[in-house]
Amino acid sequence: MKPIAPLRRTRARTLIATGLVTSLALLTACTKSEDSDAGKGGSSARASDPGQVVASPSGGSGPTCTIGAYGGGKLDLKSATVGFSQSEKEANPFRIAETASIKAEAAKRGVKLLTANAQSQFSKQISDVQDLIAKGADLLVVAPLNSDGWEPVLRTAAAKHIPIVTVDRKINATACKDYVSFIGSDFVRQGERAADSMIEATGGKGEIAILLGAAGNNVTTERTKGFEDRIKQKAPGLKVVFRQTGDFAREKGQSVTENLIQSKPGIKGIYAENDEMGLGAVNALKGAGKKPGDVKIVTIDGTRNAVRGIVDGWISGVIESNPRFGPLAFQTLDAFTRGEPVSEDIVIQDSAYTKANAAADVDKAY
Amino acid sequence: MAELSFTQGTLDRARLLRLSQEYGVYAGVVVLLLFNFVFTANFASAENFRTQAVQVAPVLIVALGMALAIGTEGVDLSVGSVMALSTSLLSLYLGYGPWVATLIALVGGALIGVANGALVAFVGVQPIVATLALMVAARGLALVLLPQLKDVRDPGMAALGSGDVLGVPYLVLIAAALALLVAFAVRRTTFGRQLLAIGDSRPAARLAGLPVRRVLVVVYVCSGVLAAVAGVLATARLTASDPTSLGTLMELSAITAVVVGGTPLSGGRVRIGGTVAGAVLIQLLTTTLVKHDLPPSWTQIAQAVVIVGAVYAARERGKR
Repeated sequence: MKPIAPLRRTRARTLIATGLVTSLALLTACTKSEDSDAGKGGSSARASDPGQVVASPSGGSGPTCTIGAYGGGKLDLKSATVGFSQSEKEANPFRIAETASIKAEAAKRGVKLLTANAQSQFSKQISDVQDLIAKGADLLVVAPLNSDGWEPVLRTAAAKHIPIVTVDRKINATACKDYVSFIGSDFVRQGERAADSMIEATGGKGEIAILLGAAGNNVTTERTKGFEDRIKQKAPGLKVVFRQTGDFAREKGQSVTENLIQSKPGIKGIYAENDEMGLGAVNALKGAGKKPGDVKIVTIDGTRNAVRGIVDGWISGVIESNPRFGPLAFQTLDAFTRGEPVSEDIVIQDSAYTKANAAADVDKAY
Repeated sequence: MAELSFTQGTLDRARLLRLSQEYGVYAGVVVLLLFNFVFTANFASAENFRTQAVQVAPVLIVALGMALAIGTEGVDLSVGSVMALSTSLLSLYLGYGPWVATLIALVGGALIGVANGALVAFVGVQPIVATLALMVAARGLALVLLPQLKDVRDPGMAALGSGDVLGVPYLVLIAAALALLVAFAVRRTTFGRQLLAIGDSRPAARLAGLPVRRVLVVVYVCSGVLAAVAGVLATARLTASDPTSLGTLMELSAITAVVVGGTPLSGGRVRIGGTVAGAVLIQLLTTTLVKHDLPPSWTQIAQAVVIVGAVYAARERGKR
């Protein structure tokens, strides 16, 4: 609260401006953060690992798509330009790993890659994709922010016969007509596997809570549906007594869990629909003086911090949602442009982390 | 509250309205407390009150700064982003130790405050527009400095977040001390008087020879520093710096607390006690709905009802 003397107007302005500029310079000049262990920073190095595995091998069941049916001619992926449109800014581990994986695979195959990031604004993503097309992308990989509203882009792409592969979220359109194929996880299945993990951890009896993701998001709905249906079916002894949203954020997960453990001290397990909320729940339990394992926590995503939580004994299981789309996306595009049939729905195999493999596999987590 | 017991059934409408303006927020807090004592399991425990107090502390601190800005007939929309900036700075400078890092975070908040104040006082931009610009800028800066969540392992910060003195958490002590300090500044200092005079009528204050510009800049600096304090405390509690989500919609929570607390948006009056009660009211409301496991959408609707109620009660005050 330093008093600012009644300076003359212009002088005060100059002073303030100089002050702001100097401080900005200072801000960037001599930062010194805590030493973080290998955790961050190494993500690019790790992105080159095997990537995803397809759950149902293509060519098996399910409809396939060929370049003849889609329209357009064959081309050589090596000499093509691929456009990648990312939906959210690379601020969370999932998006960071996803973009890094696409970039790494493009570099490995020597393909020219154009990228754009919609910063969570749908209108920006539409114009991003149109820009990518205008800049000469022959093939598109899109991580859609929304499922609907893609008509303008699809029309432009169809006119130029540009194959589109969508990753991690689907778009509401006709496969093999509007886009080639979708590569992603089955969120309902993730919920079911989380339920299995919860049943195993709690022994199938007691009261449990769900920390929901952001409202109105298909990831939230599907992970909830899979979990609740499986619990009802396999372990009627487990009762879901609490469902509150943690908005996929650590802080919200923490404050909701703090309230939960006070109003329902007998709670046996917490299912967090992403890792961040699960880590918030761990914070809350620590704050309430609980011991690791008193309340079983099961989360989905497979970020490094959560897997480390298993090693420390706070988290019982983490179901992975694999963000490394690069290898599979390019493999699909490669096969497609060579004229081979590719599956319209490519569901990837997500692994899981438990007490048994967490310590050994913590380096695989993103 | 003593007045209430002396009034018999002869209250006329104006008097009732005035009382509801003055004490409505306290009555709301009491009603919610009573409801929870009766209907919520395990509510009446020391542990629970501790949790509620810890959760309300950051909102309360931000609301104090907001009350000052609103008292000058302004508003500070940049507070949430300042929290994010402060958590970024804290994380970046933690290598120098928690004290230095906290100091730098507070300086960051003060600088945003200077920018806000300069735009409002010297350039003459409307407060809502000026602070909106800084809201966008500060969030952007925070994300440039620290693009993603980073864990904070410093033991000092962890102690600040979860430690206590005689059972009262540090967070609550700090919030209470700041509330007292701000209340004292508003009521007992020249600065407080000048602030209220400017809020009442800026031209009149200028004609009376008050240092209008200086007071405005100091007000926005206070608001920025308080938001930075809240950012540091929230980081300590979370033991992680999360500039993407920390402080989002915090400006709205803070404005709600101030308005529900009976501070008019037209300026010239600041009620710190009411602001504290307003923050507590919103916290209790959210907690009640969470503890009874009602759908989250209900919380938003309930908050809206409280805001409309508070503004309705404050409606007559504008027509002086």
